[in-house]
Amino acid sequence: MNKFLRYAVLAAAIVLVGFLAFLYVPVQRTPAQTAFADDYPVPDGAGAYTMRTADCAACHTAEDGQPFAGGRAIISPVGTIYSSNITPDLETGIGRYTLDGFRAALYDGVRPDGSHLYPAMPYENYRKLTERDVRALYGYFQNEVPPVKATRLPNDLSFPFNLSWGLRAWKWVALGDPGFTASSSDAELARGQYLVEGPGHCGACHSPRNAVMAQAALTGAEQAFLSGGQIAGWTAPPLRGADSAIQGWTADDIKLILSTARNAHSAINGEMQLVVRDSSQYMTDGDLTAIAAYLGSLNDAAATPAPAGQTDTEKLLISADPSMDLGPRLYLDNCAACHFSNGRGADEVFPELDGSSLVTAKSPTGLISMILHGGELPSTAERPERLRMPGFGDRLSDDEVATLATFLRQAWTNRADLVTTAAVADLREAAENK
Amino acid sequence: MTRTDPKKDVVIIGLGWTGSILGMELAQEGLDILALERGPDRETVPDFQYPKVIDELKYGIRLGFMQKPKNSTLTIRLTLDDVAQPYRRLGSFLPGDGVGGAGIHWNGQTWRPQEIELRLKSYVEETFGAATIPAGMTIQDWGVSYAEMEPFFDRFEYVAGIAGKAGNIKGEVQAGGNPFEAPRSRDYPMPPMKQGVDAQMFAKTAAALGLHPFPRPAANASQAYTNEYGMQLGPCNYCGFCERYGCANYSKSSPQTCILDALKRMPNFSYKVNSEVLKIELAEDGKTATGVTYFDEAAQEEVFQPADLVIVAAYALHNVHLMLLSGIGEPWDPVQQTGTTGKNYCYQMTGGTSLFFKDVEFNPFAAAGSNGISIDDYAISQIDFAKEGFIGGSYITAGISNGQPIRGISLPKGTSTWGAGWKQGIGDWYGHAMSIGSHGSNMAYRDCCLDLDPTYTDRHGRPLMRMTFNWKDNDIRMTQFMRAKIEPIAEAMQPDSWQSEYKAEGAQYDVRPYQTTHNVGGAIMGTDPKTSALNRYLQAWGQHNVFVMGASAFPQNIQYNPTGTVGALAYWAAEAIRKDYLPNPRPLV
Amino acid sequence: MPQFPFQSTRRSFLAGTAAGATLSILAFQARAQAAREVPLAEYKPEYLSVTEYAFVMAATARLIPSEGDGPGAIEARVPVFIDRQLAGDFGTAADLYMEGPFSPEADPNLGTQTALSPAEIYRQGIAAFDTWCDDTHGAPFADLDTGKQDAALTALSKDEVTLAPDLREFWSLLLQNTKEGYFSDPQYGGNAGMESWIYIGFPGARANYYDWVGRPEAYPLGPVDIAGERA
Repeated sequence: MNKFLRYAVLAAAIVLVGFLAFLYVPVQRTPAQTAFADDYPVPDGAGAYTMRTADCAACHTAEDGQPFAGGRAIISPVGTIYSSNITPDLETGIGRYTLDGFRAALYDGVRPDGSHLYPAMPYENYRKLTERDVRALYGYFQNEVPPVKATRLPNDLSFPFNLSWGLRAWKWVALGDPGFTASSSDAELARGQYLVEGPGHCGACHSPRNAVMAQAALTGAEQAFLSGGQIAGWTAPPLRGADSAIQGWTADDIKLILSTARNAHSAINGEMQLVVRDSSQYMTDGDLTAIAAYLGSLNDAAATPAPAGQTDTEKLLISADPSMDLGPRLYLDNCAACHFSNGRGADEVFPELDGSSLVTAKSPTGLISMILHGGELPSTAERPERLRMPGFGDRLSDDEVATLATFLRQAWTNRADLVTTAAVADLREAAENK
Repeated sequence: MTRTDPKKDVVIIGLGWTGSILGMELAQEGLDILALERGPDRETVPDFQYPKVIDELKYGIRLGFMQKPKNSTLTIRLTLDDVAQPYRRLGSFLPGDGVGGAGIHWNGQTWRPQEIELRLKSYVEETFGAATIPAGMTIQDWGVSYAEMEPFFDRFEYVAGIAGKAGNIKGEVQAGGNPFEAPRSRDYPMPPMKQGVDAQMFAKTAAALGLHPFPRPAANASQAYTNEYGMQLGPCNYCGFCERYGCANYSKSSPQTCILDALKRMPNFSYKVNSEVLKIELAEDGKTATGVTYFDEAAQEEVFQPADLVIVAAYALHNVHLMLLSGIGEPWDPVQQTGTTGKNYCYQMTGGTSLFFKDVEFNPFAAAGSNGISIDDYAISQIDFAKEGFIGGSYITAGISNGQPIRGISLPKGTSTWGAGWKQGIGDWYGHAMSIGSHGSNMAYRDCCLDLDPTYTDRHGRPLMRMTFNWKDNDIRMTQFMRAKIEPIAEAMQPDSWQSEYKAEGAQYDVRPYQTTHNVGGAIMGTDPKTSALNRYLQAWGQHNVFVMGASAFPQNIQYNPTGTVGALAYWAAEAIRKDYLPNPRPLV
Repeated sequence: MPQFPFQSTRRSFLAGTAAGATLSILAFQARAQAAREVPLAEYKPEYLSVTEYAFVMAATARLIPSEGDGPGAIEARVPVFIDRQLAGDFGTAADLYMEGPFSPEADPNLGTQTALSPAEIYRQGIAAFDTWCDDTHGAPFADLDTGKQDAALTALSKDEVTLAPDLREFWSLLLQNTKEGYFSDPQYGGNAGMESWIYIGFPGARANYYDWVGRPEAYPLGPVDIAGERA
């Protein structure tokens, strides 16, 4: 017992020292990973372009707000976070940030005063940014963005997320090595991997989270990376593995959905729409090609399932047989107009429901939300039309939505779990309480 | 109160098909453009969204997408000696309003005219002699040839995404298409639509009779489509709610589905709704326009909007009304036969035969606005005017466009219009009737015209426009000729019964039943300022910075639905403005 | 998989959640209300007087009688539809050009020229027609037997009942509105239970028949209305 006590005291002492260290030892700031001359000139346009690849606007520009003045509410189960003002305003923005201070925010999630950024800022991924991109972003936010005076709204977080040491401890567990290492000597694949792992921070949504809510993998070499995650209750679909949402897609399919939010199979929905709206539609053809090549390399091209013939579902819908169950009847009364009896929709206009990652997602939240509220594709340069699916929440009861969603998840070649009326009721209530 | 807004390079009156086309073309030139639309804004969702647009009473009967006569109408009389009465309730024709204009609620039948229709007067004189043209008929050439227009027909068809089958590509006749059509440079952008049972039966019989059936060219998408602006159409699902409705499915070609979201991205283009233009303002010398005055409903005040270029792109009738109110062109005097503005108002001569088949299921609700089968064997180019005693022609067609029950269930002759007999009749015959229609030309006449009404005024205090129109013997002979061609086809199809409805001698224009919203003429294009209101580029002869789009430019009506020609003329005029006018603003002729 | 606590709910992509919520409540109320419609005889008209409502009940019952196949105007609740239409924009001629001078006796081909709104035409038309019925058949229309009612309506339809020029459209309005109430979406008060659609085989507001174009057999599936009710 004594021995045990001694160990316990020792352990407690270590914890205490560690805890005190978290509280009082100054935070470390990761230095530049590549030496650049102090007077390195950022090439024209590189700043704005890098900002697009890192999608800074999505969080740091509020709806109808001044560019990058922050204030967008990011609501989480533990409270509300307001994005910060990253314009070069001296008082309320980041005008006083040095390059090292700016880099530390991107790499370490640390402000110049040593306080910690909440990891809604994806520094787990931005740690991979090249010095070239860090310089580009720094130059952009110091010189190209007009300063806006906008005081950051205080976050409204519950214990222990409101405490600095908690974040510090979290980082100790969550953060990987700084810098980017390509897995391939092929320049295009390497560029694609960099964009996906680094600035594009795809893993922030598409990778699962571990026990402490950190991204379970940060590099493509790990199977967990991009193996599917969650965002706002919606499933961010796996982009590799047996359930990959992009299985069987050509490189052009991937490029098209990133540049236009739509392709022959699918339409972008949920949070990913903001990515297309603010980021991927502005990427160069070369970068989109690189991303497509890299994502393609994570998938087995041979695994594409052969297209089924006419399924039983399709035969039933075509028959218009009055004795059909409520699920297919609801489909004919509400969905078949655009998605058709074969569930295949129409190229780039009406997304496929057969094999759709939204329909068969582990979490039915996205599917239910789509049925209740509909969705709208962003206008992009190549495909300007804001194609919009109306919501059916005013026409369908909770029971009917659940029956329809269950039908969709088991129609054609889809095989996913049923949807409960309670799940629909919860989402409807959440929307009505907004 | 009149406010004056900062000057624009271009002001566009009306944001339907032609306003959207000119908006896009001129926005690409970098000009600062404002479009003024008198009606509300309209988008597929929420304005046409399923299921609320599938409401026959609201849109098919109460005409929810049409202009309200309370806000805008005209007066009508049959002869120059009558007192015109206001068109108080919509009937015979249904002008739209709002963003998208009539482009949202059409059926989508998208034709090109016959080659000879654009030089009709010359063709008649050369082929049959000037004496063939009866007294009082005032037909003219358009001042532009089909060959010149071909690239612009092609352009419009590819922007709108038309489904069809070519019958003549560069002079080569194509099997399955219309062998009597003018040559086109390439096929339609989309394959034809699926055909209903009625159209299949008609095609089979017509072919057996040695005629040449072909699918109707349709602005209803037969597959997914992306046009030059990146705008997209989804495949039509044959919902049976096309004409009078906005399309719930992004399937009908409209400014909304083909142009507007792309146009709205242009930073130099903007538009205002609920802004009715009251007058085009002219410079003191009258030789140019200085801008427009409009009523801003939101601000409840009149606004003067200065502009260097005025594009008149309202509905045909409103274009002419604005020109009359603004002093653009000399008003047509039907007695002295002087002036041009308001001259040659024309309509469309239609008729049809209904066929009843007890044992055939037509499922009439499974329909699109423009699927169907036509024949053009009796097109205007195929008829010997001297022999037949009329000038004109028609296409003949079968294709059920909807099965909406309030708008009418065709019942055999002798069935009561009410009571037990009617109820039995609708049970017996709904879904068992089809029709074969004639859609024919309408010639221009001295006394079919538009001017300002002396008595009635609109909500802004402006005189209403007055239409003088009646049917004429020439066109009645044409439709009776078509009757004689259609009835044998109907009989050959062996229905249980059939009945015809064609205008006969003495027929008087009746504004009450719906006929067609193909009102044309009144601001006609041509080669001579003495006989036309616009030159061949749709430019006002007297005010070089005023261009007038639309079917008001047709010197007389063609035998086809007008939108294909209206769209092509808009691209034709836009090209002239871009390439020739903007570098050196002046009269182009 | 643990719930990611840093999720954003930037729902700009959600089309009008709040509006959707309001709509859904209204739609469900409408559907619930349809279930507890009052019997036709107990309906409290919004526009029509008791006498006028009795006329509309009696007249529509002859225009689309209950006997024979399919519902009659009464089963379809057409009188409710007509009353609501007359109480609304249609009845008040809200969309029509109603500036004078008016020439109600003008050539009928030139369309309606009365200064009266449709609701006023009903009011004056019912009174005038009831007077005519009283003079000709010995009682107001609603009190006649069905044979005499049919004779009176036949006379009205053939323009044999002398009405003021302002009431020239009374018959055509009555007949048109009756058919509208029979066939329009149930949200307007008529076409109860979509029975009129079922009778003729019209599938209502389904509006997608891609698989049925050109198929020479009767479409079997019953209708759905705008609110989503199925029959």
